[in-house]
Amino acid sequence: MTEHTHSTHHDEHASHGGLGKYLTVAAALMVLTAISFWVANSPIMDTPSVGWLVMMAVSVTKAMLVIMFFMHLIWEANWKYVLTIPATIMSVLLVIALVPDIYMRYHQATPERLLHAADVPQAKQHIFEITEGESELGARPRSAARRLAQPGDQYIEIHDEQSSGDSH
Amino acid sequence: MSDHGHHVHFEYQPALPISNGKVIMWLFLSTEIMFFAALIGTYIVLRFGALTWPSPQDVHLVETIGALNTLFLIISSVTIVIALECARKNQALAAKGWVLVTLLFGTVFLLIKGYEYNSKFAHGIYPAHPHSPIYEKADIYYASAVRGRIRELRTEIDTQLSEWGVTIAAPATATTEGAAPADPAAAPASTEPPAEAATAAAEDVDPGRAEDIERLKMYRQSLDDFEAEYVAPAELAIRENPAASIDGRLLLERMADRIYPLHGGHASDEHESDHAEAEGEDDASTHIVPAALQSGGDGHALGINDEHPWMKLPIRIPGGNMWASTYFLLTGFHALHVLVGLIVFFILLFIRLDATRTGTVENIGLYWHFVDIVWIFLFPLLYLF
Repeated sequence: MTEHTHSTHHDEHASHGGLGKYLTVAAALMVLTAISFWVANSPIMDTPSVGWLVMMAVSVTKAMLVIMFFMHLIWEANWKYVLTIPATIMSVLLVIALVPDIYMRYHQATPERLLHAADVPQAKQHIFEITEGESELGARPRSAARRLAQPGDQYIEIHDEQSSGDSH
Repeated sequence: MSDHGHHVHFEYQPALPISNGKVIMWLFLSTEIMFFAALIGTYIVLRFGALTWPSPQDVHLVETIGALNTLFLIISSVTIVIALECARKNQALAAKGWVLVTLLFGTVFLLIKGYEYNSKFAHGIYPAHPHSPIYEKADIYYASAVRGRIRELRTEIDTQLSEWGVTIAAPATATTEGAAPADPAAAPASTEPPAEAATAAAEDVDPGRAEDIERLKMYRQSLDDFEAEYVAPAELAIRENPAASIDGRLLLERMADRIYPLHGGHASDEHESDHAEAEGEDDASTHIVPAALQSGGDGHALGINDEHPWMKLPIRIPGGNMWASTYFLLTGFHALHVLVGLIVFFILLFIRLDATRTGTVENIGLYWHFVDIVWIFLFPLLYLF
């Protein structure tokens, strides 16, 4: 009878995890959180992209631990792929869909946006730069645009922080 | 403990060998994955496409509080799994106890989140206009917003004082009088006949209100002092030479800094700001708040909005609007999901959680683990990046 078969299978379920395994996973999650926190405040963040990569890797590991053990998927049959893979594909597609609008226009801004946009802190700390027309108060704030807006401009190239070493 | 008291009766679907409830929960979680992937993906592209992004101290974001929240959510994930194990072994009372523990940890998470939100609101950081007084840069639009708020405050104070029988005339500060003979908005205050002191009109003064009157007069004085020292010089400089007003722009920056001092950009830059100060670079040109001025629990410097919380002047945070929008959106939706989970846990407390209810506990556990996973991604993205 299917009910009997299932209930014996059900008994085996209970012994899969066991309290010890769950507690080990919990401890691992806390250690990974601490690692992530430590990386954020360490010299690794001097190269921010490396720091972000490490933190994302840690997050993915933690998520996989929760999915595999707490959500029990490591012991489940192949049906898990039927649900998870399409969801993952959709998620990735959703992010890719944003690329033409935002990533590919990363270095461009309309004059209207620049009108109210924040000033870019230049060259890693100096918000003000010294110019030849220097006033007694110091230097002047710097806009993000490489040049002033002209009539008929649709887009203006804006600064990337890495390339802000050149003079205005 | 005997497991044979109740035989669990499942109906099999042809496609998936799991119960209806579990299929539905997983399908729902798939949609939730897409939902949060969209929000998180948007946050990533907006944050890295932004011209500039505020540092955590600028927006009163405390990383350790976020880490604490992460810890509590992880613990609650463990406890719900333990509850499931108890339910499987038909230990109904133990299962209910562990569900209660999960509920408590989840509630603590929400309370801490409420505390965090409060610290943002208290400093004027709100998700969106018109409530949010955040401006991106200290330009003339910002100056006019500050000017408008000062007028509003003056009107409020003067109305309240006149209700209590006190009339006050605008102090004839040199800069406002000299700079704004034709400024119509300053006219109502400055055309009143100057009274030496409020005691001249003392016959109508409400006696029980002496303390409040003194307090309001102090408020008004601080408002006038601030305006005279920071706002009026900037406006004067701009009015004199609007086309090439370097000094005007710098004075506006000075005003914005006095209202809400910043910590100079992205957190990763702070290592270099320490280097810069150690090498003795000129403070005036780096705009970084020296360590001596920093105060407040989350390391932010104190500005006039902190010294006089009633002022609530518009604040300048570069990248602040986008930050507030994405932060409140992501954490808000996550908090709503946590709340829904807590409501279901609360309902579970009224059900006997024996072996027949294993499926129920398992499914709500799946939902709760998903909520935990979302936070696992949100924490580094919002707090540590």
